[in-house]
Formats: sequence, C-alpha cells, structure tokens
Amino acid sequence: MATRIHIAAPPITGRANVGGSLVLHVLFAGGIALFAYTHHFFGHSWGDNNQNIGAIQASMVNAIPLPSTAPPTDNVLATDNPSQTPAPLTPAATTAPKPDEVLIPTKTKPPTKIAEHTTPSILHPQTVAPSNRIPAGEAPGMRIAVSTVSLATGTSSMSVPAGDFGARYAYYVNGINHTVAGQWWQQEPDPRASDGRSVTLIFDVLRDGTPTNVRVEKSSGSPTLDASAKHALQRVDGFGGLPDTYRGDRITVEYQFDYHRPQ
Amino acid sequence: MTLHTPARRQWPLLAALALLALATALPRTARAQDDDHVFTSTSTGVDRIRIAAAGFKPLATDATTTGYKHLFDNTLYSDLNSAGIFDLVSQSLAPMATPGTPAEMVVAQWSAAPANAAMVAFGSLNVTGGNVVVNGWLYDTKNTVDPKVLGQQYSEPASDEDTRHIAHEFADEIILRLGGGLPGIAETHIFYVSAHGGNKEIWEMDYDGQSAHQITHLDTITLSPRISPDGNRLAFASLGHDGWNIRVFSMLLGRMVSFPAIGGTNLSPAWSSDGRSIAFSSSRSGDPEIYIGDEAGNNLRRVTAYRGPDVSPVWNPRTNSQIAWISGRTGLPQLYIMDSDGTNVQRMTDGGYATSPSWSPNGQFLAFAWDRKYGPGAPGGQDIYVMEIATKRWIQLTHDTGGRCDFPSWSPDGRHIVFESDSGKSSDIWTMLADGTGRHKLTVGGTSTMPNWSWK
Repeated sequence: MATRIHIAAPPITGRANVGGSLVLHVLFAGGIALFAYTHHFFGHSWGDNNQNIGAIQASMVNAIPLPSTAPPTDNVLATDNPSQTPAPLTPAATTAPKPDEVLIPTKTKPPTKIAEHTTPSILHPQTVAPSNRIPAGEAPGMRIAVSTVSLATGTSSMSVPAGDFGARYAYYVNGINHTVAGQWWQQEPDPRASDGRSVTLIFDVLRDGTPTNVRVEKSSGSPTLDASAKHALQRVDGFGGLPDTYRGDRITVEYQFDYHRPQ
Repeated sequence: MTLHTPARRQWPLLAALALLALATALPRTARAQDDDHVFTSTSTGVDRIRIAAAGFKPLATDATTTGYKHLFDNTLYSDLNSAGIFDLVSQSLAPMATPGTPAEMVVAQWSAAPANAAMVAFGSLNVTGGNVVVNGWLYDTKNTVDPKVLGQQYSEPASDEDTRHIAHEFADEIILRLGGGLPGIAETHIFYVSAHGGNKEIWEMDYDGQSAHQITHLDTITLSPRISPDGNRLAFASLGHDGWNIRVFSMLLGRMVSFPAIGGTNLSPAWSSDGRSIAFSSSRSGDPEIYIGDEAGNNLRRVTAYRGPDVSPVWNPRTNSQIAWISGRTGLPQLYIMDSDGTNVQRMTDGGYATSPSWSPNGQFLAFAWDRKYGPGAPGGQDIYVMEIATKRWIQLTHDTGGRCDFPSWSPDGRHIVFESDSGKSSDIWTMLADGTGRHKLTVGGTSTMPNWSWK
C-alpha cells in the first residue's frame, strides 16, 4: 500500500511576504542610519580632527627622510661621518748622506737688476679754473647746491643758480626737491616716448614759498613728459616761507626731471 | 562678479546695519572673485631727515620746572617721531651736554658719530610768573657758518596741557620748515564716538591720544562725527524721537545748533573743504540716496537716483567737484566716485565688501575699508586700503591686526591715517603713517570708534 505522505507547506500569502520584507528593509536601513549617526558623533571622519573642525589641514614637506643606504654594521664605534680630527703628521722620509759623498751645491740665480726709469713724463699745459674763493682761511661746511632724488621712474634734480642759497639753506632746497618729486605723477609721461629723456623747468619761489612763473627751460622732446613736469609744479601749493635769515624776496630754481621707463 | 540672490535681498538691511556699526555678525552670503594683485605705493613726500631732540635745559631745579621739562621733552620727541619725515636720533645716542642757548651749543658734538644728526632741536624751559617760558632753536649741524634754521619763544600758563601745546607748536614749526612746506599735525585733533559713559557720544582728543574729553551729552546714540573745515561746527548722525537725523554741534557756542530734519534715516554727513556744502545719505524717498545741501542743511538736492543704497559720501577736498561714496546698486557695497552733480559715475572697486571712504587732502588717494574676499569661509578680513584714483591701483595698509579695521580718516598733512580696529569684543582707535608703518593705538578701554581727523 502506497503510503502517501502529505507535506503541507505553510500557506504563503502575498501580504505576509510584503510585510516581512518591509520589516527587514526598515531594520536594515535603521541599522545603517544608527551606525552613521553614532559614527558621526563618536568616530573620526576623513581630513578631520578635533582641532580643525571643518577644514583640512595639510602639512607640506619638500623632502621625505629616506633610510640610509649604508649597510648596517655591528661595530658600535662605526660612524657614517668621518672624524674631524686631522691625521697625525708623518715626517718626510730623509736619507742620510754617505760619508764619502760630495754634495753638489745648489745654484741660486742672482736677482735681475732693473734700471730705474728716469725718463721725465711730458708735461701738458694745464688750465686752472678761476676761483672766487677768498684764500684766507678755509670755508667749512661746503655744500653742493644740487639736490637729487631717486624715484621709481628716474631721478629729479634741482639747483638754485643764484648766490649761495643752496649752500646755506640746503634743507630748504631739499624740501623743494622732495615736494615736487612727490607731486610728479609718473604715470603721466608716455613710457616709450619719454624713456631716457629729461626736461628742465625754471620757476621762482616767492617769499611766502609759493612757486610761480613756471617755464620750460629745456624741453625733453616728449610733450607728455613736459606736461607732467608742469603739472607737478601746478599741484604744489607752496614750499613754506623762505628761510628767515634769507634777505631776498624770491629764489629761482632749476628743476630737472629725468624719466626712465619702469622695469 | 557672481552674486547670489539672497545677498541682493539682504543688502538693504546689511547696509543699514553696517552704517550703525552693528555689522559684526553679518551673514556672509556672497563670495567675491579674485582680481589681479597690483600694488602701488604712496610717498610721504620727504626722505627722512636725521634729527636730534636734545633735552631742554631747565633753568631751575625745582620739581615743578623739572616736571614740565620732562613733559615737554617727551611730547616734542613723540611729535617729531610720529611726523613720518624724520629719522630721530635715539636719546641714548645723544651727547651728554644739554645746551640751553646757542652759545652753549657745540654743533660738532651732534653732527659727529654716534648721533650723526643733520638737525638738532634744543633750548631751555623755565617757569616764571605762573607761565612756562620756552626758548627753542633748530640748528643745521652740517652748516657751521649759519646753522640757525629756527628760533622761537613761547609763553603759556603753567599747566600740563599748555606745556604739551607749546611742544606741539614747536614741533609743527620744525615740521613746516623741514617738511617741504606742509604744516605739521601736532596741533590737530581727532573726533570720535565713545561709549565710555554708557551712551555713544562724541569725544575729542589730541592727535596723539592725549586730553580726551566728551563733546556731546545727548544721552542717545550718536555716530559719524565730522568736524567742519574751520573747526567751528561738528556734524554727526543722532538717533532722536523722529529717527536718525543729521545734527550739528557748535564748538564755539558749546551747544547744538539747528539742522533741518527731513524725514527718513539720515546718516554719514560730510563737509566740503570750503565749508559751504554738506553731503549726507538720506532715505527720505525710501531708498538711501546721497543729498547735498548748504552748510545749514537747506537747498537740498539729490545727486544719486539708482535703485540700491547710496551711503557714506566724501568730497574731494582738493576740488570739491567730486564725491566718493559707497553704493550697493550692484549687490555688495562698492566704492564709487562721481562729479558733485551726479554725473560721470565710476566704480572703483571690483568686488568684495567696501565701506567708509576717506579722500586724501591732495585729492590723489582714497582710503577705505575693504573685505576683498567677502563670503563664507573666505580668507582675510576687513582691512584699510588706499587707492590711487587716477590709476585705480591700490595698496593694503593693515595686515593681521586681529580684528576688523574700519573708518579710516586722513590727517590734514596727508601723511597719516587714523582708523578703528575692532576685535569683536572691543574697538579702539589707531593711527599709522599713510604707507601703513608706524601703527600705534591711541585709545584704551575698547569703546572708541568712528574717528575723524580735524582739518587743521
């Protein structure tokens, strides 16, 4: 008799399948979220440490110290570096002369005699510039009455032609020079047309320090350079009153602007 | 420059907050693009002259005279040292002698090493009849024939303040002689806002931070002090019952004088250098715009008409024909200049967050506060910059000050700039040379802001 075994599998319903799947998915997603959450707060993340939260700190090095290529040695006194102590001097080997040997004397060359040069040099006629200095006594504190200022785009120099104003009041001349130089706007001259050129202005400084009567003494040939020099004088309100001990009512100033193209 | 929409929406509020000096916690919502690194330099005008300030000789040995002598010496030394045109001989290198008169002066001692001075200031100080009498000379040590450059005598009532004043006067005379005709600033003053007494009031101090005293007592918030060119009137913005208005304090009368309230929020007044016009920003029409009126606030005319806030006007003091101001018409606040009739508008900055312009006395430069890399996480901070107007080249003057730098103001000689440095917890007033060197603090207490240098 055939035995019939009936294996009854539990009925699988669609609803239970979906429900279980959902529970498993939720648990799985929840686990990931919990892990991420706890790891976020208690673990370390890339490029992050407690001192620099929110920024990556990179330490740049230009060389990595590699291990030495020298083979290891068991000698504890061995060193890669040679000793700084110099080697002891060894005396040069000398051979003692034989008893019957006749030494050959060393010949020394007598010094060469050189006759003294007695030919007189040719004297050319010399012209001595006339001097108006008083020969009695010295003139201490001689000053050069020319002041020069170095600028980024050249130099400016000036002199006061008349009298000894520049020698006596060098500080005032210096003040004029720097005031004008400070008002020279070096972007005004055309760099190519003005390179290496210079313009000379002449102007008067009145008793109250006001510059006046500005005229071009020697043009540079570059209209923009000439104009920039005149503009510099126009921007100056004044140099301050002439020195109290100066008795004149004005001084005349020559001012030279040398332009060099900025590098 | 790329700007995000939130920045546009928030800018009017941000501008108002910035003007009220509350911008420390502004949201950083935009990032400025990088621009070319072009640098220029400013010249302080004169190469440094090596000068020695000999200790003045007291003509009496009592404590009063000696005290005034030390005060005078220290003030004169400090004035010459901060003038920006001198290389001052260290007091330890000066000869031991203390010449009080030209007869006692041995020039060779000062021109030789180690002093190597080209100029030497010396003199005597005495207290007679309740007055401090000072005789001061300036000698050119290289000119042994006629070394005298300056000889002055001063007599003021015997007090610390007057003794300091004599030293300031003598220093200014020296600077005028040796500085190419530019007057010194030792007698100038700085007006600023201080919350020292609890309320933000206007205070005044000497240019070196001494003699600070309160000017206004309005028991409210006062901002943006601007002294008139003649020094007689002080204009500022003040919060009253009808909002923010421009108000004027008479320094001669010692009281407030009338200035019309025109409605809206009125801030940041600015005097023209002839003292006849005053420019300020007003939101009477709803949008902050620049208005110009006469010295009494009448005959107002509006010179900007673009949507977006226009604030912080300053005049070109050289010509009074141009105005620089801050405008937010393109988003973040930028620096602009225009003619005083509103034409010929030029934008000067190309990005970042620019505020608080100040025009140099010679008209050549604009100083302003600028956060070049404005935005979240952007490097750097707000610093003081100077721009050459003709070329739009600029130079950064402050670095690593440990706080926001703002509200620069030029000294009348154009060689110094005073500004505020705000660390977030405290703000103080600092001064420096116009090339960024010689920086030192003028105020203590951390409650001082918005400095304005007097015109003379």
